[in-house]
Amino acid sequence: MDVVAGRSWTTERRPIRHLDPALLIVTAALIVIGLFAIYSATSQTLRQDNLDPLSRVNKQVVTAVLGIVLLLVMATFDYRFLKVYAGLIYGATVAGLLVLQIPGVAATETGTSNYIDIPGISLLQISPSEFAKIGLIVILAAMLSELRSPMPMAADLVRVIGVAVVTMLLVFINVEIGTTIVLAAIAVGVLVVAGTHAKHLISLAVGATVLIALAFQLNVVEDYQIERLLTVFDSGSVSADARYNLDQSVIAVGSGGMFGAGFLQGSQTNLDYVPEQHTDFIFTVIGEEFGFLGSAFVLALFALLIWRAIRIAYMSKDSFGTYLATGVASMFTIQIFVNIGMVIGIMPITGIPLPFLSYGGTAMLVNFAAIGVLLNVHMRRFK
Amino acid sequence: MERSSARLKLFAILVLVMFGALSTRLWFLQVLATQTYAEQAKDNGVRDIAIDALRGEIWTADQYGKPNGVPLVENVSSLEVRIDVQELEESGLAEQVLARLSEMLDVPVRKIRGSIESTQYFDYQPKPIAEFVPEKVAFAIRERQEEFPGVYVRNTSVRDYPMGRLGSHMAGWVGQVQPEQLDEAREGEYGPNDMAGQAGLESQYEKWLRGRKGLLRYVVNSDGERIRDLGGRAPTAGGDLVLTIDSKWQQAAEESLRESIFRTRQVLDEDRGTYYKADAGVVIVLDVETGGIKAMASWPDFDPSWYVNGLTKDQQCYLDLGYRDRCAGAHEVAPLLDRAYQEVYLPGSTFKPFTALAAVKEGFANYSSYYPCPAVYVHPNDTSGADFENWSDSDLAPVTVATSLIDSCDSNYYAWGSDFWFRYQNDQLGENNEPLQEDLRAWGFEEPTGIDLPGEASGFLPDAEWGNADEQKALFPRGWNPGGYILTMIGSGYMSVTPLQLATAYGAIANDGHLCRPHVVDRVMASDGETVLKKVGGGCDRTVPYTKQELDYIRNALTQVPVSGTAQLPFLGFPLSEVPVAGKTGTAFRGALYQDTSWFASMVPANDPKYVVVAMVEQAGFGSDVAAPLVRRMIETMYGIEPGGQVISQTGQD
Repeated sequence: MDVVAGRSWTTERRPIRHLDPALLIVTAALIVIGLFAIYSATSQTLRQDNLDPLSRVNKQVVTAVLGIVLLLVMATFDYRFLKVYAGLIYGATVAGLLVLQIPGVAATETGTSNYIDIPGISLLQISPSEFAKIGLIVILAAMLSELRSPMPMAADLVRVIGVAVVTMLLVFINVEIGTTIVLAAIAVGVLVVAGTHAKHLISLAVGATVLIALAFQLNVVEDYQIERLLTVFDSGSVSADARYNLDQSVIAVGSGGMFGAGFLQGSQTNLDYVPEQHTDFIFTVIGEEFGFLGSAFVLALFALLIWRAIRIAYMSKDSFGTYLATGVASMFTIQIFVNIGMVIGIMPITGIPLPFLSYGGTAMLVNFAAIGVLLNVHMRRFK
Repeated sequence: MERSSARLKLFAILVLVMFGALSTRLWFLQVLATQTYAEQAKDNGVRDIAIDALRGEIWTADQYGKPNGVPLVENVSSLEVRIDVQELEESGLAEQVLARLSEMLDVPVRKIRGSIESTQYFDYQPKPIAEFVPEKVAFAIRERQEEFPGVYVRNTSVRDYPMGRLGSHMAGWVGQVQPEQLDEAREGEYGPNDMAGQAGLESQYEKWLRGRKGLLRYVVNSDGERIRDLGGRAPTAGGDLVLTIDSKWQQAAEESLRESIFRTRQVLDEDRGTYYKADAGVVIVLDVETGGIKAMASWPDFDPSWYVNGLTKDQQCYLDLGYRDRCAGAHEVAPLLDRAYQEVYLPGSTFKPFTALAAVKEGFANYSSYYPCPAVYVHPNDTSGADFENWSDSDLAPVTVATSLIDSCDSNYYAWGSDFWFRYQNDQLGENNEPLQEDLRAWGFEEPTGIDLPGEASGFLPDAEWGNADEQKALFPRGWNPGGYILTMIGSGYMSVTPLQLATAYGAIANDGHLCRPHVVDRVMASDGETVLKKVGGGCDRTVPYTKQELDYIRNALTQVPVSGTAQLPFLGFPLSEVPVAGKTGTAFRGALYQDTSWFASMVPANDPKYVVVAMVEQAGFGSDVAAPLVRRMIETMYGIEPGGQVISQTGQD
């Protein structure tokens, strides 16, 4: 009996019997690989500073446990409640982002203030922009699933895009280009699957380009960000500092060869040559220590994850579920592509973490929540 | 939903494209181009540090291997203060630490800053800021290490000269490696701030002395911190040079030379009415069997330890390094020059044995005839008015070849010179129309002796080709003339030899005609003191084209020189019956601006020569007055004879 949904199921159709084991296994595998990679990236430095070499790994495990709790929560109730409360969720998202603009609230540990310190909980800092990803997925799915016409009309698009742009702008002014890109990708993904007309998609692309150009023109984007963005396109014109990140990570991945240097054996990793290695550049550990085979294996796991998400979108009993799953698939895809692309030098450096592998709190929780949403849609795919 | 599923397919294709791009790029990086990146990763993390090898020492023959032996050149450790800049700055105490160091070392903070900002070193290397720090200060720093973050005291090795100036020219000195040495060296042999031999044996035997650097290979992280050692190899200490030099003889040579020079400076040159300048001199003792040099002194000398800390202004002035306008007071003339083999001189009458033998060989003289010895000689039919004077103002009795050597008559040599001229004149285009030069070259003149020291001079023998050259138009307006031969016959005119060439040639008279390559190093020993790395052979294979009888004839004649000849006075009281000495005086006229060069070349003991002893003092007058007593003093030391006679005598004889 699924009391929350207010309806009963036949035994064989009870949601708990229709988990997606492949999705769970892939997620678990990624988390475990991530723990090894984080250990490799951090233990040496921690040991040097006379700290517990496992401290980062431990923290990541705690976060993962919290994430699993969140996943279960997200999977338990019928996902259609999300549609009911979509407006509320969106409102909370925007409010959270606005809170960051109040002086004194935002934690400034990382220089840019995109965290809210929750008093008493020192383990986690809550980053509203991370949750904005889920918030945007939910509101877009809700709006697009309620259309009267089989495909979104221009007016619908204006409303949908307005909602998306508000979120993106609030994130963008917190100097989080990476998250802004993810939000944009979510919007595009959901709009594509929702059947948006090609000409609308094209005019959307043109509009976005103009806006981005304008942003650069008006110096809205910080210099260092422009520089990092340029790194990938024109390596000659950027400072040594910006080049360094890219060079070192490409060297790390390239030096891995076919089979890799072996766990804990990568010199780039061990000797701390790759900056921010346990967070945004975690993939360099995979590349250097496990080689092409390891990298390909991780890519395959991610592909599997995306495939399950698309499959769930396809199998969903309603368009709300389809769009939810699509939004999640978009979110993961863009993060994987931009992050790994950045590490191997084909995408600019934007500060997007790699799902489940990168060390880090809120993003990880959000990823678990997203898996929870996928499971939810999958479990309740029967009409 | 139809549209959705179609769009989901589109979405899936987009995802596939993205993953395809990532895979392709990974394939390129990790499979196709991995070699490049693997090398870059290795270069990133692996650092090599060279460990200096201890430089070999230099020992005299008599001191090496003795329980209390004293080396000529050794290494001494210097306490050096170095600063690890990174560590100092991370401590946040840089200001205080530098101020305290400045006070303790008595060096201005500004200077310390300059040292640590030096780009001569890599950032991960501690930078030296002071050398030869007193033990007390070094101890204070080590004791309170926590108050001096990044400051380290290190033991380094520098050259030391326990025997002071002894053998300074031979030993030479070490200095910062020169660009051309870096160019010639193999990769990794020198760092940019390494020391390398710059003169003397230090330079000549550099590759033996410097040893082989060790290597420490380790891994550094991105902060340049040393993470772990990858091993390496230990340095190999340089080989020790064991010289043929006897330290006591060398000391005697240097002391008696100096004493002789200072005494000569108090003697009035009656021809000029001034005192003798006696500004330089040489003493050489050569082992005639091997070519090993037992002593070789050159004056003025210098103290090689000056080079250890860099030359002061006064030292630069003394060394006459080209700053005469900025140097107040007196300077010596080129003290760095080893006059024994790096400078050339007119040998004067000491040259006569060789020209006499040449005259006999070419048929102008024989051992039984008598030759006139007039006060003045004029070349046959010469109307130019060129008079060639004997050293004596009066006509002397006719001489044999032997007595011409004993009493050093010049006139018969002039006549033989004329003979050589006629030989040339009558056969100008002939194959061997200048046999004099050919015969003299057989003794090694006009070529380096091959001594194992750098910068050797060759000397010169004038000949027709030289005399007829355009450059000599001023000297010989009508071309080569008899004077060239006539003057060469008495070791004068345009020729020149190094004292060492003369000693080597006398060695060949002494050892029945073998011309030995002179050398100062006997062998190079490994630092274990047992393995001989290199044995320096003299090589006495070359012979001169004269019979033993001829050479004995000359030697017997020269044996009479201290008995009844030109060196009789300086050898008065010397036990010639116990230690017979064969020698030849020489007084070389150097031109109007200079006083005569005083020479004495000898073989001892004359009946079975073991050593050649040659002395030369510049601007000192007659050979019998200065050089001969100097040789006597040297031989007295060598044979443990109670010193007798005068340091210098006044004979007025060649």
